[in-house]
Amino acid sequence: MPTNLKTVVIIGDGAAGTIMANKLRFHSDPSEIRIVVIGNSSRHYFKPDGVHIPFGFRDYRNSVKPSAALFNYGVEYLRDTVSGINLDDGSVTTVSGKTIEYDYLVIATGDRFTTGDLPGYDQEAFHFYSLEGALKLKDRLKDFKGGRIVIGQASIPIQCPPAPYEFTFQLDQFLRLKGIRERTEIHYVYPLNRVFTIQNVAAYIEGLFEEKGIIVHKMFNVDTIDSGSKRINSIEGESLPYDLLILVPPHRGQELLTKAGMADESGYVDVDRSHLNYGSYDNVFVVGDATNLPISKAGATAHFESEYLANRISSEVNGNAFFESYNGEVACTTITGPNEGITLFFSYTKPPRANFQSKSDYFLKWTSSDTYFSAMIRGIM
Amino acid sequence: MGDEVKPTKVIDARGSFCPGPLMEMIKAYKQGKIGDVISIYSTDSGTKKDAPEWIKKSGNELIGVYDRQGYYEIVMKKIR
Ligand SMILES: Cc1cc2nc3c(=O)[nH]c(=O)nc-3n(C[C@H](O)[C@H](O)[C@H](O)COP(=O)(O)OP(=O)(O)OC[C@H]3O[C@@H](n4cnc5c(N)ncnc54)[C@H](O)[C@@H]3O)c2cc1C
Repeated sequence: MPTNLKTVVIIGDGAAGTIMANKLRFHSDPSEIRIVVIGNSSRHYFKPDGVHIPFGFRDYRNSVKPSAALFNYGVEYLRDTVSGINLDDGSVTTVSGKTIEYDYLVIATGDRFTTGDLPGYDQEAFHFYSLEGALKLKDRLKDFKGGRIVIGQASIPIQCPPAPYEFTFQLDQFLRLKGIRERTEIHYVYPLNRVFTIQNVAAYIEGLFEEKGIIVHKMFNVDTIDSGSKRINSIEGESLPYDLLILVPPHRGQELLTKAGMADESGYVDVDRSHLNYGSYDNVFVVGDATNLPISKAGATAHFESEYLANRISSEVNGNAFFESYNGEVACTTITGPNEGITLFFSYTKPPRANFQSKSDYFLKWTSSDTYFSAMIRGIM
Repeated sequence: MGDEVKPTKVIDARGSFCPGPLMEMIKAYKQGKIGDVISIYSTDSGTKKDAPEWIKKSGNELIGVYDRQGYYEIVMKKIR
């Protein structure tokens, strides 16, 4: 092995870890950079399809691929769980007992659902945030004959903040196709005094909700779920009955990062917003949902972050000058109705604009799992 | 901070963006007890509007919104 070979260890085999590894492989020569991904999932699920699967709009088998099959030639993939990060030694340890040293560490461990944070959640609530959740909800919707549906999110932050409203548009369409929309009330609850974090997007979505007869309850921060009376109650004192409760589960970052002293009990890591490095370490980075950055937790975020970081690491190893920084870029396309969608582009300094719906945005989103598996995940885009 | 009221808890959310500061305030409210005075520092201009609206909607008391040098301070009292 040449002595100047640098090892980049990436923890996590989801969207961020896989895109990061594949992009870095494109940017660097295997004689200069060795890339080791440590991940613990056997299959890679394209989560955005969670807004189609519960309605039977898409076959879930097209939304999963074996994780190991998604890495480009020259990326070493180790199926294992990282149990410790030792920043002082520059090494990570795994559940199977391995210790792996790194020159650069990229943490891409995403987040997890902590349903135990909300008593009653596991007994009462359905969701579409995992494949299991989406399939369970699909079963429940099959028998749904009408009634009162309450949709919302248990807390902030969540992955893909627009997904709850996108799901609601799809639900509205599903109920219309099924012929039971008139027999169903849809109640949308949201923690803020608008239906989305960003003001102008919120105003736009609220207009669409009104057109579709979706009832909005703002400043509804979920406090308790009463399974006996089938009611969901807010901290603000509102109480809503439901026949079907669809609630995005509470999220936290990984315990591993709290244990390593890199995060508080929320599990999300504070990183430099322009360079993505952790604390004073200039060889330890966090990408994807695992960060505490004030931007959407989205695959698109992971994609832009990886583009920056792969360029940076390869330039540094090659001794090339590199002056770029990550500017908080995110792009997000959501379906808003039959043949209609919107795309939001934004960054730290540019708020998104959402002023029109288009058919092309609808198709962009509808075909996104194909684009994702064939190009984006491979680091081609 | 209003001269006469001493906060039970101060949250420094400066540098954090909407809805971070408000969510921090709601978290402190949930964990606190009746009578607690919660103060939040924020550099996000949205908090100046959102936090008082939330305090009102949740039936609590807004003690004040203060323009400090380069940030806002919003002070509430938990009464329910
Ligand atoms: C319903 C829904 C709709 C969405 N729609 C969109 C959309 O339209 N556009 C968009 O851009 N984004 C969307 N997203 C968000 C997007 O899917 C996530 O932001 C993205 O998956 C984040 O990638 P990640 O790699 O950071 O995390 P993950 O994909 O969660 O991957 C983390 C990986 O790390 C592994 N891991 C964790 N801990 C360890 C450990 N200790 N050792 C080894 N491995 C570990 C996990 O097994 C996992 O494979 C959506 C999400 C949902 C749920």
